[in-house]
This record gives sequence, structure tokens and C-alpha cells, in this order.
Amino acid sequence: MSITQANPTSRRANPLVDAVVLAGLISLVFGTAHVIGEWRQPLHTKVEIDLSPSSLPAYALFSFARGWIAYFFSLLFTLLVASWAFYDTRARRFILPALDVLQSIPVLGFLPGLVLALVGLFPNSNVGLELACVLMIFTGQVWNMTFSYYDSLRGMPPDFRSLSRLYDLGWWRRFWKVELPVGVQGLIYNSMVSMAGGWFFLSITESFQLGTQDFRVPGIGSYMSAAIAAGDVRAQICGVIAMGCVIVAVDRLVWWPLLQWSRKFNLDDFAGAQPPQSRLSLWLARSRAMQRLAQFLGRISARLVQPKNAPHAEAAALTSSAKPTRAGFGRWVYRCFLGIVLMVLAVGFVRLVMLLTHVRASDWREIGVDSAISFGRVFAAVALGTLWTLPAGIGIGLNPKLSSRLQPFIQFAASFPAPMIYPWILALVIAMGGSLEWGSIPLIMLGTQWYILFNVAAAASAIPNDLRSCAAILRLDGWRRWWRYLLPAVAPGLVTGWITAAGGAWNATIVSEYVHAGNKLYQATGLGALISQATDSGNFPKLTAAVLIMAVIVVGINRTVWKKLQALANERCRFGT
Amino acid sequence: MNAPSPLIDIKHVCHEYASHGHEHDLVLSDISLTVSENDVVALLGPSGCGKSTLIRVLSGLVQPTRGEVGYRGQPLHGVSPGVAMVFQNFALFPWLTVRGNILLPIEHLPPAEQQARLETVLSTVGLGAYEYSYPRELSGGMKQRVGIARALIAQPEVLCMDEPFSALDVLTAETLRNEIGRLLASPDHPLRTMVFVTHNISEAVFLATRIVVLAAQPGRIAQIVPNTLPYPRDPDAPAFRAAVETLHGILTHTNLPDTVCADPGKVVTKVDASRRRIAPVSLPYVTPGEVLGLLTLLGDEPCDVFDLAERFGREFGAVVRVIKAAELLGFVATPGQDVVMTDLGRQTVGASTTEQKKLVREQLLKLKIFDLLVRLIRVQENQTLAEEELLRELQAALPHEKPKQLFRTLLAWGRHSEIISYDQRQHQLRLYDPKRSSRGAAHTAAVPPTPPAA
Repeated sequence: MSITQANPTSRRANPLVDAVVLAGLISLVFGTAHVIGEWRQPLHTKVEIDLSPSSLPAYALFSFARGWIAYFFSLLFTLLVASWAFYDTRARRFILPALDVLQSIPVLGFLPGLVLALVGLFPNSNVGLELACVLMIFTGQVWNMTFSYYDSLRGMPPDFRSLSRLYDLGWWRRFWKVELPVGVQGLIYNSMVSMAGGWFFLSITESFQLGTQDFRVPGIGSYMSAAIAAGDVRAQICGVIAMGCVIVAVDRLVWWPLLQWSRKFNLDDFAGAQPPQSRLSLWLARSRAMQRLAQFLGRISARLVQPKNAPHAEAAALTSSAKPTRAGFGRWVYRCFLGIVLMVLAVGFVRLVMLLTHVRASDWREIGVDSAISFGRVFAAVALGTLWTLPAGIGIGLNPKLSSRLQPFIQFAASFPAPMIYPWILALVIAMGGSLEWGSIPLIMLGTQWYILFNVAAAASAIPNDLRSCAAILRLDGWRRWWRYLLPAVAPGLVTGWITAAGGAWNATIVSEYVHAGNKLYQATGLGALISQATDSGNFPKLTAAVLIMAVIVVGINRTVWKKLQALANERCRFGT
Repeated sequence: MNAPSPLIDIKHVCHEYASHGHEHDLVLSDISLTVSENDVVALLGPSGCGKSTLIRVLSGLVQPTRGEVGYRGQPLHGVSPGVAMVFQNFALFPWLTVRGNILLPIEHLPPAEQQARLETVLSTVGLGAYEYSYPRELSGGMKQRVGIARALIAQPEVLCMDEPFSALDVLTAETLRNEIGRLLASPDHPLRTMVFVTHNISEAVFLATRIVVLAAQPGRIAQIVPNTLPYPRDPDAPAFRAAVETLHGILTHTNLPDTVCADPGKVVTKVDASRRRIAPVSLPYVTPGEVLGLLTLLGDEPCDVFDLAERFGREFGAVVRVIKAAELLGFVATPGQDVVMTDLGRQTVGASTTEQKKLVREQLLKLKIFDLLVRLIRVQENQTLAEEELLRELQAALPHEKPKQLFRTLLAWGRHSEIISYDQRQHQLRLYDPKRSSRGAAHTAAVPPTPPAA
């Protein structure tokens, strides 16, 4: 039940790659955005959001569709890039650290640049906006899926590889018969997690506004923002309910059946551990229509996977000259592609440097101070979150009954896009006499503490039974119980939870230090607020600088603190051999 | 020695695990046992007889569902104060060094005292050079030495060990067993009282002064055998061998009772005080392959159960289950401790695969439980029986069995002998029909659709 990150020990940190990827990404987004767009550009039709509840199903459907389109691309990316990294050992050395950086940078900072770039590409239609929306959700979904699939491929039993070579499966059949079955369980599990992360980005991107410019697209996210702007509480409640329904429906109708189905691909066939099947999936399996559908799909997939030739026939028929030319051609295409990418990056980089020269010294100072404040907030949010999630997670993890009962609720809470209810929490904070300076801390926590809870609970549930008995026999209690037994036992999970939570927290500063509630704008001092403000006021150089600094901070902390802590926890506190 | 005073005293202990919903697995049934000072008690029995649960009850780790647990005459709530425990899988804290692990129980003592005790214990178990290693770096035998040292350093009144040597390889286990034996035999070492779990008869005879033989399903005490051989004990001595032989006999007898069954597969059980009825006998949880394998290996000569266990390299309890199943099907007979092949058994071994399946099928259909299964399928509207339905029926007919496990066993036998077929996608059973199955497709249009479950 954890939101697990792929095993980090297998990947070496390489500061050079970090720098290249960071610079490349920022160059690409901001540089190109700068090339394409003047900052303010008259464009596209304005969207009117209808606040009557009857229009909600349609909005929900739009959001739903965006989520799934993004998921489709995430899946495609995952399968392609993970396989590439797995089979091409040379590319792997760059791909893996690059993905690692991409996973940890605060993507939300890139939203304005991305929207402007894509709107500039399609000035006369909504295509650019929709594309930006999908792309943002994609970036929230894809990384952990890719790592999971890559790790599955790495964990593939070597016999399977030999077998596929022996039977001359070819890449197409190898993918269907070997690779996908091996990776499908992890992939589905991570897809669930990704979809949850995707809703967060969806809710923000759909309601994106830039100063007076309206970049909204119809969906639940924009419905909520319109309801908040209008101060229409009834519509807000309806929006939250609709979002909840979408989350529950996707969970029950898609992920649960898929998860059940994927269990048949379990590699270690431990007969005793058959999990209870859900009533729904059994009912589906017995329904006649589903049987027909399954038969139909089965026939299609059989046709697709059916080989044209007997094994090794192609190799036998191949003339000796055919292969080298094809490989040569492939390499040529590869080089061209690489060249184009490098050129675009170089142009973007030059633009970026030019852009940064426009940033005033006072702005740099402001960025520095605000970074420190935001850092404090992120730290406070993670620490406060840990304070309750650590004991709660351990309690849940050690008690399987409690954990199975609470899991659906926790999963729901974790999936629900927190920004949708920011105004409510903020109203509460202000009613209690607080301001956003402090109030943004609970807002940040709202979305990120769940990661700690999940990972700690998973780690606690994995404590071997003998060890639990031993702790009881030794009468470890009070601080000894915590320091000698519980804390080290959950340390690997705790650190993973911290990493994910801190990454999410930096992202969340952008939306939680700068909140529109009703007609009012609440603003705190901090890097996230600075980014949002620079976005609204159209100060493009300042925005770029702030995003750059935030990305550098996050990746830097990741490298210097988290990865080391994680390595230590994994080395010392892992159970088993 | 003075008159031994009772340390741990349990009376009429029953324990159930709530498995799923309303089912309860009775693990321990009415167990009374006293552990006195200077007792070395072995809990001996096949797997699944609740011996690990019993030792956890004795140490206070598990609160039994019913019955009393007392320590030194006081009722025990929570973990027993004078008990230390050695675990099957060592239970070492991976984040503490060997030193840290061993010192855990005595951290409240002054440092000088800790150090003194540590040095004694390290030299006792021979771990001196490993003081600052992490458990990860140690071999299994070394890890268990740490476990033993951690238990000894607290100077417990009772040392509990839960299958302490069964996760180790044979040679290492032998070494450690000898060392524990030496500690018990040595007059200078305070270790006197011990309770340990084992399924190894000679281990029990080698260490224990009393051997508690347990029977399975539900776990209960079959017999308590005193063992007065003087320490140190020599496994090659005739008296030692005689004791092992006696225990062999007792274990066989408890697990393979010599009841004469006129009608195999049926026993009379008391359902309640007023009503008696014929209940089906459960099939032991073994696979057809195991039983046929037993027949192939058995040969014409009568064979001792323990020799068989030795020859198969399997645990005694597991072999007994296979023999029981073979006996139930009429392939072997078990006079005394021996296993003898019947004519039918011989015929089955010699038959072709198809013939073999036919013979097994005929025997299975004589069993009441299979009769029940076939009839259940026949009365269904479309001859298709849902898994849940069968589980419910099994639960009702055989309340003491584990329905899931029984279901899997029935499935294995029924499919092997081509009585039933099972669709795992829909969790449904049908009677086996060679015509349908030969076409390969499991879903056919010939069967009317299943009505949706109410």
C-alpha cells in the first residue's frame, strides 16, 4: 500500500547530469516560450464556466478524459523509455539520472512557460491549452511509472530472457509475452499512485489564469475555481463531491479489477496467498457480456501476437548484407535526432542566459530571502506532518485489521486534489486569527503528509513477526521502544515518505502561498508566492530565475540530504539478508 | 536438588485464531501443563499442532482465548517477567551491532555490570570477535548464537526456544544443539529451566527431561514422556535409541491411529448430544502426486513410518498426512508403525496413466466427501457450482476443517482424476466432460447464462 519509489541504490547520482538536465529543461521551456510568445498575446476564445450543478457531469467528463489522455501518454512514455534504458546500456547512464531529476523538480513552476509556449504554437484554438493541461498531468504521472517498469525489467528472471531468445520471440512478441506480464503488477500499482498525483495537477492547470488573462479550460478544476471566485458555496460543495465521485469511480471500476486481474502474473506462485477477490470483479467475470468481450479481446490479441514465421526462420533467410545497412541507417537516424535535440537545447540555453541578464540584483536578493522562508515552510510542513503520521502509520501498519479498514479512506484523502479545498482551510485559518504566512503550512501539509503515512504504514507492516515478539519479550517500552525498535524499523519507509512529501511540498508552495479565495487574493512571503506573483504580473525574467532557483534547491537537497539518508536507512535498517 | 517449584502453570488453555468472518481456527484445545524449576520441556509434534502457539502462551506473548496462565502462582497478564526467548528466524535487530543486540535486555544495569555479563556470554557462545559486526554480515549459525546470547544475558528463569535450529543447516544445527546440551550439563552455568519447540525426535531426547507429544487439529497433548537419561547424553547409546524408538511409536500412534474402518471415509461423529449422523471424513491436505509418489517408492516390503520420513527427506507430520490419504483411498494399510501396500496399491502403481486415473477416480467416488461434491454440482441449475457455495457447504459439513485448504485439496484430486473441472477465471466448478475440454475453449455457448447472483 505504499507509494514506493524505485530502489535508489541502483542509481548513482551524477551532479553533471543533474546540471545538464536542469539547464536543458529550463532552457527548453522558458527559452522557447520566450522565442514564441510575446508575454501578453490576444488569443483564443474565453471559456464561460457554468456554475449550475447540472453542468457538472459534463465538466467531470472533460477532466476525466484529460486525465486518461495524459495517462495514455504516460504509459506510452513508460514502455518506450524504460525499455530503451533497459536494453541500451549506453543510453541508460543518461536516462536514469535524467528521470531522477525530472521526478524531483517542482513542475508547477513550469506551468506558465509551458502554457505560453503551447498557446503560442496554436494561437487560434484551444489546442495549445488542452495540450498544456495534458502535459502537466503527464508530468505528474509519468516518472514513478517509468521507474517501476524499468525495475520490473531489471528484476525479470534471466531464464525469461533466455527463453525469448531461444524461441526467437522478436521485440513485439517479447513485449506481450514476457516483458508486460513481468511488469504489469508494478505498473498498475504505480498507475494508481500516478493517477492520484495527476488530479492535483489537473485541478491547478484547468483553472490557470495569468493576470487578467484567462487560460481556463472547461473541467472540474475550472468549475471549482469559478465557484470559489463567485463565493458560491453550494457549487463548491458540488464540485468537491463530483471530484470525489470521479476518484472513487476510477478506483473501483478501473484499478481494482485491474489489480485483481494482474495478480495472475505473480511470479512467485505462493498458493496460500490468494487474496479475496472483489465481488464486483467476480460478478463481471461471470457476466455474459464480459465473457464475450474477453473472448473477443483474446482472439484479437492472439492474432496480434501470432508469429508469421517459425522461430529463427528470419535469421536463416537473412542475407549477410541486410543487417548491417539497417543498423547503419538506425544509427544515422539516431544521430540526427540527437543533433536536433542538442541544437534546440543550445538555442534555448542561450535565450535563457540572455533572459537571466534582465533580472535585477534586487530581484535576486528577494528570491534568496523568499527561498529561505519557503524552505522553512516546507521543513515545518514535513515535520508537522511527520509528527502525527509517524505514530499513526506505525499503528496502522502493525494492525492489519485497522489498516484494511482505513486504507480506502486514506487512499481517497491522498488522491483528492488539495488545492480544491484550499479556500475552506484558509477561511478557517483566518477565522482563527491567522494569516497565510502561517496558514500556508497546513495547506502544504494537506496534500503531502499522506505520502509519509503510506510509506511508514507499509514499512511497519513489513516488520517480521519474530521481531515483534522479541520486542515484546524484551519489554522494550517508552523511548527504548521508539529508538531501538520502531523508528529504525520504519526508517526506510519514513525517508522515502519524506522525499516524496518534500518534493510535493515545494510544488505546493506555488499554489498555497498565493491563494485566491472569493474576490480576495491572499499572499504570503515565499518563493512559491514569488513565482505565482511573477507569473501574474508578467515578469518573465524574474519568474525564470525563481523557478531555476527552486529547481536547484530541490535537486540539491535531494542529492545532499535525502539520497544519503536513504542509502543509510537502506543499508542499516532493511530486514532480510 | 530441592523439590522443584512450579514456574509456569497453564490450565485448560484453548486458543482460537479468528481467520475470516465468523470462522475460527481452534489451534489449542484444553491444554494443561506445568513447567517446574530444572525442567527441560520439549514440545514435540508435527507441523500445525500449535506448538509455536503453545510456547507463546507459556511465555505470555499470546493471551489464550480461554484458560488460565500462571507464573510463580500469580495469574499472568502480558509477557512473563522471567522468560527469555530464542526465535526460529533469529529476530535480531539489523540496525544494532552484535553487542547492541545482546545488551538490549540489560540496558538498565550499570555499565560495568553490562560489560562483565557481555564478556561472559560472548565467551560462552563464542562470539568474541564479532562484537561490533552487524547481524547482516553473519552466517545463520552465528546469528542464532547472537540470539542465544541475547537470551542468556538476561539470566532468565525460563529459556524458551521456538524451533531454534530448524532454520540452520544440519551441521550447524548439530553444533549448536551440542553446545546447549553442554550448558545444561555444566554445573557452573545457571541455565536449568528450558522450554523448546521441535519436530525433531532426537533433538527432544537429547535435551529434554520431559517430552510433551502434541497431536494436531486441534492441537492437544497426546502424551507426556519423562526422559531421565543423565547428561551428557550420547545419541549412540542404546538407552538413547530406545527412547527415540518409543517416541517414534507414540508419534505414529497419535497421528496414524489403528482404527478399523469397515467403511473407509465414514466415521460416526457426535453432532450434538441428541442427534448422531454420518459426517464425511476430510481428505488430508496432500496432492495426488504425493500419494502416487509414495506408492512408487514404497515397494513390496513393509516400511516403518520414520524410515519413510527419513528417506523422503520430509518432515514427519507431512509424511503422515500422505500415508493417511493413501490409506483412506485403500492403497496402503498401516498395521502398527508399518506401512504396507495393498493389492489395489500395487495395481495402481503398475497401471498406465489413464488406468491410474480411473482407479483413483473409483476410490475417490467412494469417499463421502466426493459424493457430496458431485451431488452438489448435479443439483445446480446449470451443473455449475460456484466456489463460495462449495466453501459454505464444506464449512457446514466439516466445521473443524479449514474450508479453503480442503477446497484446494478436493480441487487437486478432483481435477487429477478427471471428476471435476474448474474455471479459475469465474471460480466455478463443473463435472469433467472430456468432449468440452478437448476443444480447449472454456466458455461455450452451449451453457445457458448464469443468472446474476442475488
